[in-house]
Amino acid sequence: MLVSWNWLKQYVALDMDREELENRLAMSGLNHEGTETVFDDLAIDLEVTSNRPDCLGHIGVAREIAVLYNLPLSIPTPAPIATGPDVNADFSLTIESPELCPRYTGRIIRGVTIGESPAWMQEQLRTVFAPISKDWKPVNNVVDITNYVLMECGQPLHAFDLAKLQGQQIIVRAAHDGEEFEAIDHHTYQLTPDMCVIADANRPVAIAGVMGSADSEVSDSTVDVLIESAAFSSMATRATSRALNLHSPASYRFERALDPEGIEWAANRACELVLEHCGGTLDEGWLDAGATAWSPEPVIMRLSQVERILGISIDREEVKRILLALGNTETASDDVSLTVTPPTWRRDLAREADLLEEIARIHGYEKIPEDVGVPMAASFKSDWDRVAAKLRTTMTAIGFDESLTASVVPNEWTQVYSPWSEKAPLRTASPMLKGADALRTSLVPSLLEVRRINQSLANPNVELFETAKIYLPQDEGLPQEQWTLGITSGQGFGHLKGVIETVLQAFKIEGQLEVDSTSQDLLHADYSTSLKLNGEHFGFLGEVNTAGLKSFSLRNPATVAEIRMDLLVQHATLIPQHSQLSNFPATTRDLNIVLSETVRWDALAATIRNAVEASLLEDITYQETYRDPDRDGADVKRVLFTVKLRRTDQTMTSEEADAVRSQIVAAIEAELGGKLLG
Amino acid sequence: MALQEFLDQLEQLVSEAETNFGAAESTDALEEARIEFLGAKNGKLKAVQKLMGTVEKQDKPVAGKTFNETKGRIESAFEVAHARIQGDGSDTESDSQFDPSLPGSGFKIGRVHPITQTIEELKDIMGRLGFSTVDGPEIEDDWHNFVALNIPDDHPARDPLENFYLATAEANSGEKNPVGLLLRSQTSTVQIRVMEKTKPPIRIISLGRVYRPDTADATHYPMFHQIEGLMIDTNVTMADLKSVLRLFATSYLGDDVTIRFRPSFFPFTEPSVEADYYWNGQWIEFGGAGMVDPNVLTAVGYDPEEVTGFAFGLGVERLCMRRHGITDIREFYKNDVRFLAQF
Repeated sequence: MLVSWNWLKQYVALDMDREELENRLAMSGLNHEGTETVFDDLAIDLEVTSNRPDCLGHIGVAREIAVLYNLPLSIPTPAPIATGPDVNADFSLTIESPELCPRYTGRIIRGVTIGESPAWMQEQLRTVFAPISKDWKPVNNVVDITNYVLMECGQPLHAFDLAKLQGQQIIVRAAHDGEEFEAIDHHTYQLTPDMCVIADANRPVAIAGVMGSADSEVSDSTVDVLIESAAFSSMATRATSRALNLHSPASYRFERALDPEGIEWAANRACELVLEHCGGTLDEGWLDAGATAWSPEPVIMRLSQVERILGISIDREEVKRILLALGNTETASDDVSLTVTPPTWRRDLAREADLLEEIARIHGYEKIPEDVGVPMAASFKSDWDRVAAKLRTTMTAIGFDESLTASVVPNEWTQVYSPWSEKAPLRTASPMLKGADALRTSLVPSLLEVRRINQSLANPNVELFETAKIYLPQDEGLPQEQWTLGITSGQGFGHLKGVIETVLQAFKIEGQLEVDSTSQDLLHADYSTSLKLNGEHFGFLGEVNTAGLKSFSLRNPATVAEIRMDLLVQHATLIPQHSQLSNFPATTRDLNIVLSETVRWDALAATIRNAVEASLLEDITYQETYRDPDRDGADVKRVLFTVKLRRTDQTMTSEEADAVRSQIVAAIEAELGGKLLG
Repeated sequence: MALQEFLDQLEQLVSEAETNFGAAESTDALEEARIEFLGAKNGKLKAVQKLMGTVEKQDKPVAGKTFNETKGRIESAFEVAHARIQGDGSDTESDSQFDPSLPGSGFKIGRVHPITQTIEELKDIMGRLGFSTVDGPEIEDDWHNFVALNIPDDHPARDPLENFYLATAEANSGEKNPVGLLLRSQTSTVQIRVMEKTKPPIRIISLGRVYRPDTADATHYPMFHQIEGLMIDTNVTMADLKSVLRLFATSYLGDDVTIRFRPSFFPFTEPSVEADYYWNGQWIEFGGAGMVDPNVLTAVGYDPEEVTGFAFGLGVERLCMRRHGITDIREFYKNDVRFLAQF
């Protein structure tokens, strides 16, 4: 909102330093955005929050200044003299859509002389319009007056050329579907039934609260004018303005809750100025339909609440002065409270809390101390936070960078890879980024896209992880938001599996990590697995296949994994316990076993574990697998591993270790058909 | 010879050699022991090496590998004993080829994303001030994102163009999404969820991703991170708010700062303010704040006559950009590994 320095002076004395004023306005709610010189005037740019439409006119800003500096405010009291015939005699007004237009008024002035508006008015309008519209020009005296009153009090007006209104009537109605409308800006707009129009007997002559039509505007040939002053639905005005991408100073104000009393004041003010500067005679009475159903209710301001909420005490007299200067009227009071009725232009003041804010901002927030003793309180770190922090430490320690990617992705990505859910993803009504309107059901496609971006930047070594939510649709209600760790690496399956195992070690998760084959379109048929932790589904791990790489334009191999973070939290040992360590040396035995290809390592390891007393077996270390079909036959492999044995009560003898080895060998032979080599 | 037998002999040799070298008290004794185990002609190691010929062919790779390891272990045991007997003597020998300026063995470490780093720091600071972190859903319903936050039906913040509502019908599959759900536009939703389940006193921060339809440019991104604080108790005032924000900013910036309030407008607080901090000779926007609106307290079942509270919210990206000199918000979500490596 641009205000003119000279204009403001009409209502309040501006003897203070301008910069100080700008600062005080900023500190009391009208943020100062800048000031520029326009000829011999100043245009001061003030940011007005959406709850203060009263400050979208000079009078409202002047009132703020008067309150801040404790100065008198002088506002004109327009009283145009009507000497013409009864306006309702041969003109009718109907509101067909009261939900879009609660009240509509019109006054008719006949026999005006169209010409230039007075120089002072042109100059003040120039100050507030020229800085935002470089080719701004005054229009004519009638139109300038409606704009002047708009910028004076914030109530938008519109002037019609009465001769262009067909059928001697105004109908406020919903637009017909597909109805065409040529506005003053000479663009044609297609209207829809949720939009409100001002129509004559035959066609719309204005989009309510937004813009008038080109062929009903006041021109040099206009003789009689109808001045509209009305209230329009803020939601409908906003929707219309958005839908048509047509924004005007009028629509900006109608989108907010305007002063219902402003309708008559503004009409009177405009009529008075037209009579003064354009001549003509004002018809007796008003075209007036509908009513604004709102009137302010008294509010009780308990003085004790000032200290209770603001933390400072303010004198009763100061509280009262502020409230009354802002336009509230005192209706009743007692020792502990003031009862006031807020002014009609402050629809945001309806409760004690609203008045408290007024008192605080005018009294000055700088008076609230910033060094009071806030009581101490214990804070708690959730297990989830501890796990997430440790996870990041672990992942970065082993060389992975953390990435953050968008939650909403192109729908194709959810079709390429969605192992957690077979349901169609949730979609946003409008895309978040170009082409992206699906709530992701996996982090993997996003991470592959990051690989592609880094490839295009010729970055080697793209090793990334992300911890974020995926959104799994449910049959009804809110989706399941699953915190997920996603990982991508340029190295192979074994590497990434090692990463997951390392993560489990970092959390001292003792449970079994199980691996099953699973088929995923994106992944290599052999290197595609589903993971289980302690029997519960934990995640997915695999290498992207050639087609998958191609679909993300990747030239180099990529491995991907995703695991559920809730299981990490569930199984993590966050407070590890000490156990007594054996002081006796460990001994190791290497074993080289020939067995069928069908026996997986996990089966072999389980057999070994079962074969040995748990307290003796400290570790099983896989060494390598090799094959010699000439000697061993087809579908047979040799697996070399080491077992580490230790007793807690004495040194394990060579004979004991050999005996354990024999138990292992016997178990492998019995359960898996494997044989010790050599 | 069986492989295991061979391996056992090697293991035994190591332990014998270690014992002997360890027992040597003079250069001569050690030399004697060296010849016994490592002697080129008749050393025990040499003798065992000859046995390798008798190991089965398929076991040769393992046998060879283990033999070499064993040799290394015995040699290093000798070196240790030698150094012990010589005192500093062995360290005085010059290695003219050694270049200490060569780079050490490198380790690749990863980086935590700068946004996460910022969030963690803010969480730490607020934790020291007694605020615990809470988490909540990113997809929200009308009640938590608007109604309970005192945002009425006709408020511009509810405009479909200001929010990412979920599509109500899936054109292709015919499946229906629940009506009125949206990606949360603020993390205050989590505060509502906590207050609905918890009695005062409350001291929490909620943080995470929020979504608003902005065209992505250098300073806007349709997804960003917010951190919001909430304190509710029987006697919380705006002076407490200002004091907590001052401690917060002072902790974050590492030096004493002062806080200024400018009036603002948020539906869920009354009074509402923009908080600025004074730093390096200028006022810098910190975030929005205010006293929790009585309607919000009522909506979650609190009595505004019993308790009061404050809330504040900060944009994480903006703080992070200012702190690290990042000029384009889109860098955060591009994940150029060179960018990530800078933090």
